[in-house]
Amino acid sequence: MKRFNYYKPRSLDEAWELKEKIPDALFIAGGTDILVGIKNGELYPPALISLRSIPELNSIKINGGAHIGALTTISDLIHHPALYNIYPVLVEAAKRLGSVQIRNVATIGGNLCNCSPCADMALPLLVLDAKVRLQTAKKNREIPIDEFFKGPGETNLTPNEILTGIVLESPRKSAKAIFLKKGRVRMDLAIASLAALMEMEGEKCQKARLAAGSVAPVPLRLFKVEAQLEGTTITDKLVAEAQQLAAESVAPITDIRATKEYRRQIVSVLVKRALKNILGWSQA
Amino acid sequence: MTNFHYIGKEASRPDGPDKAAGKAVYIQDLQRPGMLYGKIKFSDFPHARIKHIDTSKAERLTGVRAVITATNTPEIRLGFLRDNFALKKDKVRQYRDEIAAVAAIDPEIAEEAIELIKVEYEPLPGLFSPHEAMKEGAPLVHERDPQGNSRTDNLVPLQFHHESGDLEAGKRAAKHVVEGTFTTPMVQQCCMGTAGCIAEFDMNSNLTVWAKTQIPFLAQRDFNRALSDMGLAGKNARVIVPTLGGGFGSGLDTHCYEYIAILLAFRTGYPVKIVYTRAEEFANLSPRQSSTTKIIQGCDQNGKLTFRHVEVLQDNGAYTSWGATYPSVMMMPATSLYRISNVYFNAQLVYTNNTYCQAMRGYGNPEFTWALESNLDELAEEAGIDPFDFRMLNSNKPNETTPMGLKISTCGLKECLETVAQKLNWKKRYKKGKHRGKGLASLIHVGGGARIYRSDASGLILKLDDFGNVNVYHGGVEMGQGLHSVLTMAVAEALGVSSKRVLINPTDTGTCPWDVGTHASRGAFMACNAAILAANKLRDKIFGLAEVFYPQEVEKNLKKLKKKNPNYKPPDFDVIKAARRENFELQDGFIFIKDGPQESWLRLELARLLRAIHFRNQGQMFTTEVFYDPPNELPDFKKGFGNISATYAFGTQGAEVEVDTETGEVKILKMVAAHDVGKVLNPQALKGQMYGAIAQGIGYAFYEELLSKQGKILNPNFRDYKIPRVYEMNFPIELEFIESNDKFGPFGAKGVAEPGLVPTAPAIANAIYDAIGVRIHDLPITPDKVLAALKKLKQTKD
Ligand SMILES: Cc1cc2nc3c(=O)[nH]c(=O)nc-3n(C[C@H](O)[C@H](O)[C@H](O)COP(=O)(O)OP(=O)(O)OC[C@H]3O[C@@H](n4cnc5c(N)ncnc54)[C@H](O)[C@@H]3O)c2cc1C
Repeated sequence: MKRFNYYKPRSLDEAWELKEKIPDALFIAGGTDILVGIKNGELYPPALISLRSIPELNSIKINGGAHIGALTTISDLIHHPALYNIYPVLVEAAKRLGSVQIRNVATIGGNLCNCSPCADMALPLLVLDAKVRLQTAKKNREIPIDEFFKGPGETNLTPNEILTGIVLESPRKSAKAIFLKKGRVRMDLAIASLAALMEMEGEKCQKARLAAGSVAPVPLRLFKVEAQLEGTTITDKLVAEAQQLAAESVAPITDIRATKEYRRQIVSVLVKRALKNILGWSQA
Repeated sequence: MTNFHYIGKEASRPDGPDKAAGKAVYIQDLQRPGMLYGKIKFSDFPHARIKHIDTSKAERLTGVRAVITATNTPEIRLGFLRDNFALKKDKVRQYRDEIAAVAAIDPEIAEEAIELIKVEYEPLPGLFSPHEAMKEGAPLVHERDPQGNSRTDNLVPLQFHHESGDLEAGKRAAKHVVEGTFTTPMVQQCCMGTAGCIAEFDMNSNLTVWAKTQIPFLAQRDFNRALSDMGLAGKNARVIVPTLGGGFGSGLDTHCYEYIAILLAFRTGYPVKIVYTRAEEFANLSPRQSSTTKIIQGCDQNGKLTFRHVEVLQDNGAYTSWGATYPSVMMMPATSLYRISNVYFNAQLVYTNNTYCQAMRGYGNPEFTWALESNLDELAEEAGIDPFDFRMLNSNKPNETTPMGLKISTCGLKECLETVAQKLNWKKRYKKGKHRGKGLASLIHVGGGARIYRSDASGLILKLDDFGNVNVYHGGVEMGQGLHSVLTMAVAEALGVSSKRVLINPTDTGTCPWDVGTHASRGAFMACNAAILAANKLRDKIFGLAEVFYPQEVEKNLKKLKKKNPNYKPPDFDVIKAARRENFELQDGFIFIKDGPQESWLRLELARLLRAIHFRNQGQMFTTEVFYDPPNELPDFKKGFGNISATYAFGTQGAEVEVDTETGEVKILKMVAAHDVGKVLNPQALKGQMYGAIAQGIGYAFYEELLSKQGKILNPNFRDYKIPRVYEMNFPIELEFIESNDKFGPFGAKGVAEPGLVPTAPAIANAIYDAIGVRIHDLPITPDKVLAALKKLKQTKD
């Protein structure tokens, strides 16, 4: 492990200033990804700029929709008094991220910026049509989250940009969502995971959102499956077709956790179980 | 002894509070004044010639105190066949080969220095499976044997062979024959505490090593040999064992890092500590070997086994540890689990450029029982007999000698089978299509030591002090398994003192008598047998001297009592006449006369008696020493014959599972384990051993596999290498203990540390077969293997 300097700015301005001065410095939130990288010798930044003491990054605001500060820990998402009632799928995903110890320090922003294909928090945010707020000293932009992920470990962030928060609209009453995750053991990075959301009007699906993890270079929206489901009356046959389409839409790899064939199979099973659960046909 | 005060009752562990409070001193915590930190430069290739090592930059780094390589240090050989070297000179044979090492004032500098060492290699073609290594013309892992003779193949020169009865006749007599090949992966011990040591020389060049070891005395012998290689012949290595965070077999050999710490300490004159990181532990400490077992078994039309044919192939890796003697244990179930005659067993180990392997809990037994018990279910099906009935029919019985010459004294296998069947409601099977099933598997294991070395003995010293405390000095190692808890109970029980008075001293070759090592489930069996011997010797001496001193001291009691209570009338009892050694009893720290009056003044505190004997002219104190060597034999492994253990543990485990046929996931609904443990010493400790072993068995069954590609470990961390956690163990485990009261066992007990692991995986595999009709031959049973097998089954049906 290489030595590095550690900075703890108290404001965003201070953080940007530091980053200007030390361009190779990295931002650190909870550190559960970045420190693993440093210890494994994969990253060797000259300095870390901690975002943990910047107050405005640390809050959850509910106002019709919600604004979640990027530095909110996974545990804080789980224990927030109101969040579960509005966005249960987000909290369900949070509960499946790592262990208690990890959740107590890991942040939602870190999970997104680390941009792993298995990032658990990415999936519920994708199906909730979240937007991410990206800021530099000069620029402030908000983009849909599915434009944020570029490749493994690669985001839409420009070098000095900080992800400051996540913006969520208030969901429709008719929206129902679910998060499913398969690992080798319960506490594991996903072999494959899936978030699904549907708004039903009677028998008809008005809106469908599906996103799968660990089966592509980035957390993946399954646009084709969504298009196939929207505006239709969902039948067993359609579910089977959705499964097929999902399996075809993903591009998994074989790694230590699973083979690509197995991942494809699991995505298909998760699609079936998620849809049937949302429709109330069965327990997932 | 049948009325026990301590044995059989729940007792907390003497080491528990310190461990829970974080006060126990593990090697990680241990510091010595002036201590330096050692770090090792491991190879960058699995097989290569070393052309040049440049350590100049590392030497110049501030804070570095020494950089050593094979060229600037004496050659130290190690290993079961002495085919390994502390530092490698000409050639590396595996990724973890030690090329150089540094000692520095802090771990970070040591690590930085390691990165500055540049090695030039000439890569050689590598061998990464026994099959490759056995091919004609394969490159040689070792060109020469330790004696310097040239070698012509990659076979490890160790023979494990057994033939008994008439195999051909057994085959002819068989109505049903089933053959199968089963494999098991490399798995890691996954101790909570990683490996490490501190080596320190005094100014007389005597060495002290604080070692994470299970074999302090064999380690002492190894280190003394190293001292001699270093030109320090006649100097002594003292081995002190700090608190161990688990062993599981990883401490059954001495390791290169220990010799490297010794070399660095000698070079610098300062204590040197080397502790492995988790990644180093995974990549550079020897795991359990992978194995391939081909097994053929046959039975007659009634289901009686008629023959068993076994061939085992094992990947030894690049060097040979004690773990290479796994087949000595595999031979035991191969020849002796279930009644069988006509047996063929052969095992071959092969050198490869993979990481070299060592012992792990079960020592070959989990590997072999995986094959045996899976194959037995297949045979039962072929014969049309229920797997439970099939096992009952062929079950071992007490007082039998097996084809290997194992003398089975007690045997509770039938009771174990029956208990498991009853608890699983065996005869009530699930309907097809429910994807639920039940399976069982049994085991035999050494339960009374295991003589794989010239001596299987264990020494023990009891030292009484003036305050009634009993200091125990024993060479066995407490590594979390609870040895000190049962040893405390055994001393208290056998001597007749309160368990609070029993103090177990740290394991230290300087103070404790010799013990071969804590392995083969022998710790409690040996220590408690030795404790009983020692306690009896002490009682003899105490009771002898009490003939004189007891009457004197109780007379004083009586006087005191009369002074307080002048009306007291003592019973009509002649103390002097009754004070004969055979009449005394010692219980709970008080000595009194058996069948004498129950007066309190006749109960004499042991400490007072001891002080009376000590503080006088020509006084005496009480220290006793014993050396217990169990009645077992060092087998001839080339012939596969010999009664390796004084007694044998038996057990059966059953599993009930549900398979998700879409994902291939297996959910355990329930596990049942019934074990013939001889006698329950400490129920709590015993349950702990069983739960832990079953959890390790669950890991072996489903999750664990040290993956390597071209000799490189791919998953050297707990992110990628999975062991069961609390969620995976979230099912009921029902334990039942059969007490067969073995005559050789201390209080009747047998060793129990390994059995819980042994039949776990095959019981589960048999249950999976029952549930969905697919047989998995290769551990671990991963969901994708289950799905692939299901797919194949569907194809053959269609
Ligand atoms: C044992 C263990 C188990 C884990 N299990 C899971 C799991 O089950 N599921 C899962 O998804 N992940 C898991 N992780 C990964 C990790 O915990 C999560 O990705 C976590 O959310 C990362 O957050 P962090 O705050 O720790 O990020 P950090 O490590 O601090 O940062 C991660 C990256 O994001 C950048 N960054 C962080 N915040 C910002 C910001 N606001 N603006 C710009 N850049 C930023 C950093 O520079 C860095 O590159 C696990 C990790 C460990 C060690």
